[in-house]
Amino acid sequence: VSSPSFKQCIESVLGKADYNHNKVNQWTAAIVEQSLTHLVKLGKTYKYIVTCAVMQRSGAGLHTASSCFWDTTTDGTCTVRWENRTMNCIVNVFAVAIIL
Amino acid sequence: MDEFQTAEEASFLVDEVSSIIKEAIESAIGGNAYQHSKVNQWTTSVVEQTLSQLTKLGKPFKYIVTCVIMQKNGAGLHTASSCFWDNSSDGTCTVRWENKTMYCIVSAFGLAI
Repeated sequence: VSSPSFKQCIESVLGKADYNHNKVNQWTAAIVEQSLTHLVKLGKTYKYIVTCAVMQRSGAGLHTASSCFWDTTTDGTCTVRWENRTMNCIVNVFAVAIIL
Repeated sequence: MDEFQTAEEASFLVDEVSSIIKEAIESAIGGNAYQHSKVNQWTTSVVEQTLSQLTKLGKPFKYIVTCVIMQKNGAGLHTASSCFWDNSSDGTCTVRWENKTMYCIVSAFGLAI
């Protein structure tokens, strides 16, 4: 699971934009969908969960935590943080192996 | 009758998970006001408590729990999630909670083994 490709997903959707209340819903949806499509194309026997949070930069504090109960030998996660002048974006990817 | 019981034991029940999450949030941050120095402990304790209660259910699932706590000061926050899994056996539950000074959003994902 490589983070450069997720950074690219975020760049392509949010790139030069400024926080826009009307557009944020489309943006978060586009980021998770593109990331998921990219993961599925890797063709591995995994289930995936992708979450994305976009926050307006106004000085508020934001903390996130996640905890997983799984098989540490086969499952994994990747978190990408991105920001520009007006917003912060955090994308979490969880990959859980399918036991055949 | 037997089949019904087995299905219950091995399925992701949203109501059950939702009450586990609500309890975890209440006990970790219940009557508190947003405090920068404590937030890390709070998010950790919410996810850990939720996860341990979920695993105690003894169902054949792998779990992922995420928690976001945000100070209330007018900023906009949007979250989205997308999952590639087995619709018949896997599930998710998201609980949004707030008090006067902060928002807390907890998501639990259950993936059947």
